[in-house]
Amino acid sequence: MLKIENLHVKINENEILKGINLDIKPGEVHALMGTNGAGKSTLVKTLSAHYDCVVTEGKITYKNKDLLDLDVSDRANEGIFMSFQSPIEVPGVNNSYFLKTAINEKRAYNGEDEIDAMEFLKVVKEETNKFNIDRKLLQRDLNDGFSGGEKKRNELIQLLMLQPDLILLDEIDSGLDVDAIKTVANVINSMLDGKRSILMITHYDRLLELIKPDFVHILNDGKIAKTGDYSLALELDEKGYEAIGIKDESK
Amino acid sequence: MKVNEIKGLNLPNKKDEEFLKINLDPLFSYDFKKHQTYEFDIMGLETIEDKNTYGSLLFDITKSFDNTQKVITINKNIAEPIFLIHKIKENETFYTNSLKIQVAKNIKAQVVEVFVSNSQNSAYSVNRSFDLEENSSLEYVKIQDINESNSFIFNSNIEQKDNSTLDFTNFEYGNGFSLNNFINDINSKNITYNLNGLVKLTANTICSNLIRTVHNAESSTSNINYKHSLKDSSKAVFKAKSIVNQSALFTKAFQNSDTILLSDDATIFAQPHLEILIDELEASHGASTGSLNKEQLLYLQSRGINKDLAYDMLLKAFEEKIAHNIKDEIIKEFIETYERSKYV
Repeated sequence: MLKIENLHVKINENEILKGINLDIKPGEVHALMGTNGAGKSTLVKTLSAHYDCVVTEGKITYKNKDLLDLDVSDRANEGIFMSFQSPIEVPGVNNSYFLKTAINEKRAYNGEDEIDAMEFLKVVKEETNKFNIDRKLLQRDLNDGFSGGEKKRNELIQLLMLQPDLILLDEIDSGLDVDAIKTVANVINSMLDGKRSILMITHYDRLLELIKPDFVHILNDGKIAKTGDYSLALELDEKGYEAIGIKDESK
Repeated sequence: MKVNEIKGLNLPNKKDEEFLKINLDPLFSYDFKKHQTYEFDIMGLETIEDKNTYGSLLFDITKSFDNTQKVITINKNIAEPIFLIHKIKENETFYTNSLKIQVAKNIKAQVVEVFVSNSQNSAYSVNRSFDLEENSSLEYVKIQDINESNSFIFNSNIEQKDNSTLDFTNFEYGNGFSLNNFINDINSKNITYNLNGLVKLTANTICSNLIRTVHNAESSTSNINYKHSLKDSSKAVFKAKSIVNQSALFTKAFQNSDTILLSDDATIFAQPHLEILIDELEASHGASTGSLNKEQLLYLQSRGINKDLAYDMLLKAFEEKIAHNIKDEIIKEFIETYERSKYV
């Protein structure tokens, strides 16, 4: 589904990613771990075409297309969803209107008919009921005045409604209590259908206990320094980065 | 007929501090074919002689043509707003019009005025006086939607008595040259004066707002809030001066101008200005200028919304903040569904 080859990325003229190679096949769950400043967020931001990230070298292939040729909205409509670490507040734009617009943009991109208001409400109700997520968030302006937990729940509603193929989760568990992390895990696990793939950034083993990754990658100084299975995350949790041979370049 | 050739009429000079950045010469030196007093489409309005001396020379333009003033007196609560629609159709004509809106004690009223034109090279000079008696409340909304090659001067003089509230909202949509002039000398206690404006310009449109507020009495509030959304080579001027004199203890005086420049050629000249002679007050002033928030734009795009649509959604959100301040639901709906094509 996604193949990253020798990816080099600069932010403000500083090289952050220094030759990333990663292959994510359909249905796989990949976890990305690493010390602060290792380049984890830069990688997912690059995949979603964030304006800060300048690709200087390398290639990204997604569904047999050159991902770097697609702009932000095209990447989303091709099925890439990035859950923001800090979802942006957009006062004045109604959350429900925003979500319906996003769904219809994706439908138009795929040559499908628009979703009508009744159908939209029906699907929202079904999806949010499954995971006990408060629909009142949709009546408010997009993330405006939302608590940290509400912002993350709103990302989950978008995820459920947009049904992407590649889900990028940038610390979706940060700042969430145990119950909220369980909700996140329930939503993600429900979407794992053997075709959909996930790349998730997390610092903690807690989320990985609930969403078992097929691969765990440790990123260090802009490169993948180590790759393993779930046991690597357990080892990291137990021993720390230095004990498994990762030098924290930020110290 | 040229405005600058009217005998005895003193006109503002662009060298005057107040009129810096506003070029009135093309309007004042234009040779109009005729003058006409614009008559209201309401029967039986009282007509009085306008004997007032106003704090701006601009009021004298209308008065020099016609020294009379129509009066609307609202002395009972009305369920629905009064709508006054002005349609300028004739070319090469200098129109004038003067109206006093009086709201009686303890009365709540709503008035909407729409100024539209489909004429060529015409101008409209309008004087408005607002007299609000004690405990009265007026929501006044103005839409200016003149077309290219037309000019519009709107002068408003406000007098509010104790505990009265004026919510004054302006929508500047037109494509010509417009100048709004707001004067409120606050000589009564506990009054509220909210002046809001959306200046939405395209092409080579020029719109200026001159706002002068003088606090002379205790415990009153003035809140001036403008948003500018400027495309192409349009130009806006926002000059707000609020003076808080020694007698105006516990005043609240706020001024704010936010501008989004949507092209490299669009221009804003924003000058919020406070003159404060006391310590016992709350006051603030500010002006921001920029483009749309790129993080918000990226967030919308990251969910599949194309750049142009995301841009429109954010711009609409910015502009709608002014309409959201409107209290009357009928007026709010009128603004939301307003289309110039319904009138010209």
